[in-house]
Amino acid sequence: MTARRVGRIVAVALLVLAMVGPLYLMLTNAFKSQHDILTEPFGWPSGGFSLKFLTNALTSPDFNVVAAYGVTLLFVVAVNALNLLVVGPASYAIARGGHRYHRAIMLVLLAGLFIPGQTLVIPVIYVLKALGLIGTIPGFLLFETTLTVPTTVFLFVAFVQTVPRELDEAARIDGASRYGTFWRVIFPLMRPVVATAMVLNSIGVWTDFVNPQFILGPQSGIYTVTTGVYAAISRLSTDYTVVYPNMLLATAPVIVFYVFMQKRIIGGLTAGAIKG
Amino acid sequence: MQVSKESTRRPAASKAAGRSARTRARRRATTADIAMMAPPLVLVAGLIIVPIAIAVYLSFTDWNGFTSPPHLIGFRNYVRLTEDSAVRHAAFLTLLITVIGTVACNVLGLGVALLLNRNNRINAFLRVLVFYPYVVGAVILGFLWSSILGTSGAVNSVVGAKHALPFLSDPTWAVVTVICVIVWSSFGVNVVLYLAGLQTVPDSVIEAAKIDGATPWQTFWRVKLPMLAPTVTVNVVLVVIGLLRVYELILALTAGGPAGETQSVVYNILTSSFDNTQLGYGAAQSVVLMVVIVTVTVVITTARRRSEQAVAA
Repeated sequence: MTARRVGRIVAVALLVLAMVGPLYLMLTNAFKSQHDILTEPFGWPSGGFSLKFLTNALTSPDFNVVAAYGVTLLFVVAVNALNLLVVGPASYAIARGGHRYHRAIMLVLLAGLFIPGQTLVIPVIYVLKALGLIGTIPGFLLFETTLTVPTTVFLFVAFVQTVPRELDEAARIDGASRYGTFWRVIFPLMRPVVATAMVLNSIGVWTDFVNPQFILGPQSGIYTVTTGVYAAISRLSTDYTVVYPNMLLATAPVIVFYVFMQKRIIGGLTAGAIKG
Repeated sequence: MQVSKESTRRPAASKAAGRSARTRARRRATTADIAMMAPPLVLVAGLIIVPIAIAVYLSFTDWNGFTSPPHLIGFRNYVRLTEDSAVRHAAFLTLLITVIGTVACNVLGLGVALLLNRNNRINAFLRVLVFYPYVVGAVILGFLWSSILGTSGAVNSVVGAKHALPFLSDPTWAVVTVICVIVWSSFGVNVVLYLAGLQTVPDSVIEAAKIDGATPWQTFWRVKLPMLAPTVTVNVVLVVIGLLRVYELILALTAGGPAGETQSVVYNILTSSFDNTQLGYGAAQSVVLMVVIVTVTVVITTARRRSEQAVAA
């Protein structure tokens, strides 16, 4: 019995060490000089903690972290809005439709589940080029929204099927159109599943690297947090006074957000994965 | 059913009017239906299906992205990729990462989930802790670990130059390091999913096993694990699909190095296509990868269905 308990404690300690260690390094080394990082990476700095390196990273002319956050947030919001606008009504139509073609359309929409986004990006570049949308924000948003379609359709259709049809009929008798019925009657009931979809899509967009990197491209000058940090760090990977502060700036807001929203984020992921 | 009931109730005169109103309603519903389903269909057709078709077409050409038009060269790209040592290496590495990573993520994920299954404050905190890599994103995690394990990284600074460990500079070490970092960054998701799965195992069944004298070990193998069968399927499929596509973490951690030793399939595809302007060749590799992912997913789900049904029965 005691051996069991000891084993348990050791396992938990190892787990905490493995998970906290990298965070600890990122947090402390962002305030240390190159010399201190190289000689005492785990220790306290000889000359005390300095805000200089963080300020340098914040005001760096190479990569504006604050602007990158603005851009990334904008993308997250826009993709979520487009996703609801595009997938919401379609899922309703599919869930309520009894025809064989509804099922066929659903299968087409789910096709994207198996396609690795990183390899799709190459031919997508040609499509966007033909449309004159390559290197533009609308082009990027269209593709990013398309990638959210499969999971969201899956979640939404399953949910709408649990909403009684009587509600649609009542709305129709009151003279609502199909769109009106969806937005005013069904959509307000979809809160939990919309939250799930938004969590999954938001994490997808803010951690995405390949699509902003290849569709927007470095020459567009539009950086998200991931592409900006990549550009900043891959150029100066040996200067740890650039690497650590940039990593901290890229992660800190996300982690703070995660700590406050963890129930929702984990719940959303669980619901998404179990239904998907 | 509904129609016949209505028609018997209605007087003959209004029957025709009623029917035409219904057809009109149905037709309106169909146009509304099409209008509602069109936007995502257009997006998926234009930005997933058409690009896949383009990739398939390009895979039969020698296109470099600039000369026009592309020349059709039949299956030459496909033949070439069976002989290309870089492709073979990337395929082998990706397979290795996928197999080891899937086993490790699931064993670790389930193990930690069992460790944290009891509801108390410490466990709640630990659950949040194991999951954070998922929200941070692979690019930044790759950089973080390279600043920890790199030649002048944190660990080697402590160990000292004399005994420096070649985590990322020696080919074999680099592969091991990449796999470890991948497992570190992704098992948290599996922990969370297994914890959700464990909640579905009814307490009464576990109580019953205890009363029958089952040891904790027996309870796990005979009771919990079989009931987790569907959760196992989800976890395996998700990890496999994720690992077959591994790219960002490798890019930031090793940039494919040393000497291309840690280049995954996706890494190789993007390098062939952009740095070496061999779009046709890169397209052939992506087509093969897509086929592999679809096949593997179908095979795993069908194979797992049997053990899932065993539980249901």
